[in-house]
Amino acid sequence: MDIQTLYKMKSKFVAREVGSELIIVPLTGNVAQMSELFTLNETAKFLWESISENASDEDIAKLLTDEFEVDAETARKDVSAFLANMDVLLKK
Amino acid sequence: MENQQKAFSLSIADFAIQLHSETLIELEDGYLPFLKNIVNKPDIDIECIAGWPEFSFDETQKVFEAKNETQKFYTIYSINSELGFVIYNQQTNEIQQIALLNEHFNHWKVYSEPIDNIIMPLKYPMGPIIMHYMTLTSDAVMMHASCAFDGEKGRMFSGFSGAGKSTMSMIWSEAGSQIINDDRLIIRKTETGFNVHNTPMYYKDMPKVAPLSAVYLISHSPENKIKKLVGAMAVTRVMAFCIQNNFDKQFIQKRLGIFTEISMQVPVYDLGFVPNQSVVHFIKAHEA
Repeated sequence: MDIQTLYKMKSKFVAREVGSELIIVPLTGNVAQMSELFTLNETAKFLWESISENASDEDIAKLLTDEFEVDAETARKDVSAFLANMDVLLKK
Repeated sequence: MENQQKAFSLSIADFAIQLHSETLIELEDGYLPFLKNIVNKPDIDIECIAGWPEFSFDETQKVFEAKNETQKFYTIYSINSELGFVIYNQQTNEIQQIALLNEHFNHWKVYSEPIDNIIMPLKYPMGPIIMHYMTLTSDAVMMHASCAFDGEKGRMFSGFSGAGKSTMSMIWSEAGSQIINDDRLIIRKTETGFNVHNTPMYYKDMPKVAPLSAVYLISHSPENKIKKLVGAMAVTRVMAFCIQNNFDKQFIQKRLGIFTEISMQVPVYDLGFVPNQSVVHFIKAHEA
């Protein structure tokens, strides 16, 4: 999954901030999926909120570098890990 | 007969509900202890109609389907600002009720076929569906949970099917607590906190209420063990056991709002328990 794929899915979720974390709940038309709620930690919350139209994985990694003062390589790894985790969550 | 009239007034979780029809309405026994005269305008008005409506719902209007591999429960349709419901009989899978809910969620039209000139508009699962949408008109939620009240504290226990909600109720009942209900509850915000109410079931039970003092998410365990949940984790874990139809963003926002408030005001615990009296002492010792 890349950032733009996730961006297209974002409108199908409702998000609410609780402290430094974010809860995201998928809109669903099926009773079987109603208990699927996801909790994003501070970094994942920042990434989720940074997703925008036309942003690339590299753009998001740059934002992460600026916000959390991590080096570029670590930021790229964090973005990859975030996208991999979201991929797993959204395929559940 | 007490359970057959052309109009009924009910009070469920302090919501005033009125049913009326030109045909005799029969209520299931579980509703009878909740009969109560309403002085003011009801919160929920239910117009009960004998026979099927002339309109039908279009598949393109379908927004939600409650069914499993073998059974259909209900289907929801969005028609302009109203919601349409088709409710299926749990034994025969035939249509049991067709209903329309207005945009303010306070007026229902429930259509059903009369049998011997009598209609049963709240026949399961229509009644709980009406109660669920009733909670969306206020700061309230319906939960799959049990609650025990010891005269001071209302302890709510929730978990997956088979996690031990009924077992926990029996244990607390033996310890002298009043069981508000062991399956379905309505939590409602008050001026000072949250109250837990029972709702009409298939059996008769008096209306009961308790203050919500703690939420325990339970599972069977070889030993009693407890862990406090905080923040987003507490909110999502509790919300997973509420009764919800997540096809509308506003519904989800409202639910997230109320569960965030509950989790901020009431402690939420993960509880592994041994099914005997030791868990009562364990919980009380932990609370102390």
